[in-house]
Amino acid sequence: MSMAEERHPTEDLPAYALGALDEAERLALAAHLETCDQCAHDLAQFEDALYEAAAVGAVRADPPRDLRARIVLGHRGARVARASNWGARVREWLARPLPLAVPLALAVLLVVSFVAVGTARREADTYARALAGVADGRVVALAPQKNAPADARGALVIPRNGDPYVVLELSSPPTGKTWEAWVIKGQRPLAAGLSSSGGVFTIVLSAPLESGDVVAVTLEPAVGSSAPTSDPILAGGT
Amino acid sequence: MLVQRIAGGDAEALGELYDRYGRVAFGMLYRMLPGPEAAEEVAQDAFHAVWRRAGSYRPERGAVRTWLLAICRNGAIDWRRTRGKREEREVTIEAAAELLSDAKVDERVVDALRAERVRKAVAELPAEQRDVLSLAFWGGYSQSEIAARTNTPLGTVKSRVRLGMTKLRERLVDER
Repeated sequence: MSMAEERHPTEDLPAYALGALDEAERLALAAHLETCDQCAHDLAQFEDALYEAAAVGAVRADPPRDLRARIVLGHRGARVARASNWGARVREWLARPLPLAVPLALAVLLVVSFVAVGTARREADTYARALAGVADGRVVALAPQKNAPADARGALVIPRNGDPYVVLELSSPPTGKTWEAWVIKGQRPLAAGLSSSGGVFTIVLSAPLESGDVVAVTLEPAVGSSAPTSDPILAGGT
Repeated sequence: MLVQRIAGGDAEALGELYDRYGRVAFGMLYRMLPGPEAAEEVAQDAFHAVWRRAGSYRPERGAVRTWLLAICRNGAIDWRRTRGKREEREVTIEAAAELLSDAKVDERVVDALRAERVRKAVAELPAEQRDVLSLAFWGGYSQSEIAARTNTPLGTVKSRVRLGMTKLRERLVDER
């Protein structure tokens, strides 16, 4: 085992549990936690102790009587009913030859040309570098849809090892909104990750991806949605 | 398991999770936010987030209650930053520092005996450690912000966070 592998950021775990690290420190530690079970175990103990204290610190307050019903009824059957129509529509759009074949081909060409000749634009460089950096895997262009901003671009990256992710070039979402990725299985969309970033950024897909699935990106309320509430900005099939 | 059922699309399982932890979640949010309407809004959003993220919950990385309350707390901090009126965006240092020690226990959601042990563990922390934990947890302040706002060297704040959290963990986790 190398020195780097042996080093654990144990001193920062308490502050991470408290949410008290600065952003750069938090991101670095979050990356370490993804691969270190020991630190994740220690963090879980800090968090359990902290939130137990918080539970004792919570005030005596009765939630509204109908809150439970609103939470449960909001989801009873919603995933299937709302999702199936939306998923079917996305698949329909993907089946149309002209409107999508052209942007798909263009998107692929753009990717290839960026990798081959480069470009002076900083964002384009970042986008191209992100895709050129895929050493061992498959890249599938996501086609801009009807409501996509003019400069919206995206690609699905399926590495040979590791989780699939999307590389997106989108403007920052409006206040109170977020970009949400979806994996559509048949006609059923599964929420696959959020980002409120703008520019070139990635979303690692949290839903399992299999051959034949469709990946799409929509604009959703800031907390994300359990089923899409708007038409896709980008979409592509695997 | 409850979260697995939620991940499978079982809305009644979400209701069971609410029955177990909804009251404590609401009580925590009520304390963090300016009024019951905001607490209700964030609680509802948090349970929607649970529904959406249930598939990514990893039991080996923390208890369900911890996972849910962390989602609630993050939602409350986001609410204050994005939707709160200017005066609601930040908790004053004085208010945040008082919250943990002044808490009244809700026996309906926390076992009274256990709550007394927790209260004792918190009370036994040196005041300066208890204060930084309270400021960070309830106020949503980072270590750098606490250092700046309390005129304390950053290294000292970090040290207090580490010591306070380590004692809390030793006293609350080891005795189980």
